[in-house]
Amino acid sequence: MNGVFKTARKAGLISCHSCHLLCQSAKGSAQMRCPRCGDHLHDRKPNSIARTWALVLAAMIFYIPANVLPITIVISLGKAQSDTIMSGVIYFVQTGMWPIALVIFLASVFVPLLKLLILMFLLISVQRKSSWRQQDRTRLYRLTEIIGRWSMVDIFVVTILVALVHLGGLATIHAGPGAIFFGAVVVTTIFAAMSFDPRLIWDTEEVIHE
Amino acid sequence: MSNSKSDSPDLGVPQADIRTRKRRISIVWLVPLVALAIGGWLVYKALSEKGPTVTITFKSAEGLEAGKTKIKYKDVELGQVDSIVLSEDISHVIVKAEMVKGSKNYLSQNTRFWVVRARVAAGGVSGLSTLFSGAYIGLDPGKPGKTATHFEGLEVPPVVTTDLPGEHFVLRAASLGSLNVGAPVYFRRIEVGQVVGYQLDEDGQAVTVKVFVHDPHHTLVRKNTRFWNASGLDVAIGADGIRVDTESFVTLMIGGIAFDTPANMEPGEPAEANEVFDLHKNRESISEKTYAQKKKWLLHFDSGVRGLTAGAPVELQGIQMGQVLDVNLEFDVDKAAFSIPVLIEIEPDRVKTTGQLPEGAEGEKIMDYLVEKGMRAQLKTGSLITGQLLVAIDMHPEAPPAKINWEGRYPELPTVPTAMEELTASLTQLLNKFEKLPIEQIGGDLRDTVAGAKRLINSAELQDSVTALNQTLNQAQKFVAALNTSIEPELKTAVSNLNSALVQAQKLTKSLNSNVAPQLDRTLKALQEAARSIKILAAYLERNPEALIRGKGQSKRR
Repeated sequence: MNGVFKTARKAGLISCHSCHLLCQSAKGSAQMRCPRCGDHLHDRKPNSIARTWALVLAAMIFYIPANVLPITIVISLGKAQSDTIMSGVIYFVQTGMWPIALVIFLASVFVPLLKLLILMFLLISVQRKSSWRQQDRTRLYRLTEIIGRWSMVDIFVVTILVALVHLGGLATIHAGPGAIFFGAVVVTTIFAAMSFDPRLIWDTEEVIHE
Repeated sequence: MSNSKSDSPDLGVPQADIRTRKRRISIVWLVPLVALAIGGWLVYKALSEKGPTVTITFKSAEGLEAGKTKIKYKDVELGQVDSIVLSEDISHVIVKAEMVKGSKNYLSQNTRFWVVRARVAAGGVSGLSTLFSGAYIGLDPGKPGKTATHFEGLEVPPVVTTDLPGEHFVLRAASLGSLNVGAPVYFRRIEVGQVVGYQLDEDGQAVTVKVFVHDPHHTLVRKNTRFWNASGLDVAIGADGIRVDTESFVTLMIGGIAFDTPANMEPGEPAEANEVFDLHKNRESISEKTYAQKKKWLLHFDSGVRGLTAGAPVELQGIQMGQVLDVNLEFDVDKAAFSIPVLIEIEPDRVKTTGQLPEGAEGEKIMDYLVEKGMRAQLKTGSLITGQLLVAIDMHPEAPPAKINWEGRYPELPTVPTAMEELTASLTQLLNKFEKLPIEQIGGDLRDTVAGAKRLINSAELQDSVTALNQTLNQAQKFVAALNTSIEPELKTAVSNLNSALVQAQKLTKSLNSNVAPQLDRTLKALQEAARSIKILAAYLERNPEALIRGKGQSKRR
């Protein structure tokens, strides 16, 4: 709460997303268009909370099959072995390769879950119009944006393996159905993070101070 | 958006255009709906594909891995091993497996499971692919039956699975020989089947061998088909040299069975599945007739049966009728006597009956009648060199009357002593008689006689007599010479008279001979019997001297 700041919305101004033309916002809840390029104008991301919720929920749903279904199917000497993310982690733990296990666990299990939980926390706090530690919450949002792309590591590893290991009868690796769902989790969380408008965290202040 | 100011200052920026649009539910909600749909579908699929869970027990879990080992039928995956745990008494492992949906229909109590591993046997190599892919559990649905979820895994893969067309047959053999599971079954040297299993009878007396003959060859097995053990080499040395016979190289190593229907027989009805056949020792023995009907008889011999062994032939009129099954020794405490029960087996069908049996004439009655007529069992020497005995059943009309004892476990056929035994008995009798002769006394008398004679010969009187005789003879010679000339004619007549007298005397003797001799013979025999009875009396008296006083009482004491 560092005092009252002047925001574009307070000033009744809207910047166009496409051509960045600054225009006066119209009154009422009518649909606004950029007078120069004709694109939609919003003072906040439209329908942000609902969209984010939708995507977060979708990601949560995808998260289950992503972890239950096998992510890789290794066919080595005629013997098929399918591994889920957790079974891979357990395998590395059992073979004593703690660092690799940690990396996979963090990148593939922990981070996506963390992102989803952070987004849900932000959504709930915004909906409750909470003004609690707004700076920290904004920081959390930035964190989700930064780490989001790293959860794709797993998908990349699988993709590279599938592309490289094509040794015929000796060894072949197929991507399992879990990989698709995992990709879906990552993509939907990235979209969810994108559709969340961090300005909403600060909008509460305006209301309070008005 | 509700707090837009009504009097916004003019900053020289253009006013945003306004277009009205109806508020609709955001399309983004489709995303979680799709996610839900996919998730729901996955859950439904997982649930709908969930089949029955079965437990299989194995002796060892060698090669099995929880979560990896598959259950396959015709190389199609039907399930996967979920967990492997040891049984409570750690004697075996319990494998839990989840089957695919729909497999419930063919999981019956007849379903068999076994572990497919690489196996190297004399008959061949199997399961090589599992060297790389790892073991899997094979499944054979078996015949439909009661639904089951608990199975006992086989240690050895079954040779024949249910889907193989053909028939099973059961062979009975005295011993397994060199047969083994998987051993081939040949028909005219073509492999048409396999040995699928064998089992010792509960009493351990015989072996049951199960064979499987593939379609369409199973129709070659007729009711009168003979199976024989074609294992190994069959070497026969005959008049035409050495003959070596074998079905195939494989049978040399792992044994085998061959079958054929004898050429001299009409092919019978096709055999039914699981029909029981005898497994013959070799090809030769199939031409020996076999008889299904076997009857056991008991014989009791009192004398030694040295040389009589189980398997010795039982002959009737010199034709084999059966064999000796068992020779025992019994001691009767009451009679303080040994007896030897001999169990024999007779195949009555070996006798071809001609003519019509009268009504009501059953086997037992015929036997009773035959025994009444003198049918007896007797031990005979089969070979003088080896001393092997055989049992001969013959008619002995002179034998003392006896009856078949139908009381016991086996009917008992009366016996007569061995021919040798009879001979020995009569010889002994003869020797006894000789022994009874007063030979010493005779010798003494003879000696005395000889001594007297000797004295007589050596006496001076005799010497004198001899010289006197000599003179007399000389004189007689002279006299005869004189006489010769004078008496000869008279003598001639005298001789002829004498001749006729002699002829008459001869006649007399002849008539005497024919009339008196038999009478004399009888007298002698009577004398002999008298002597024997005196002997018996003497013996009896010796044992029971009191009989002299009390008489020969009917003593019941022993």
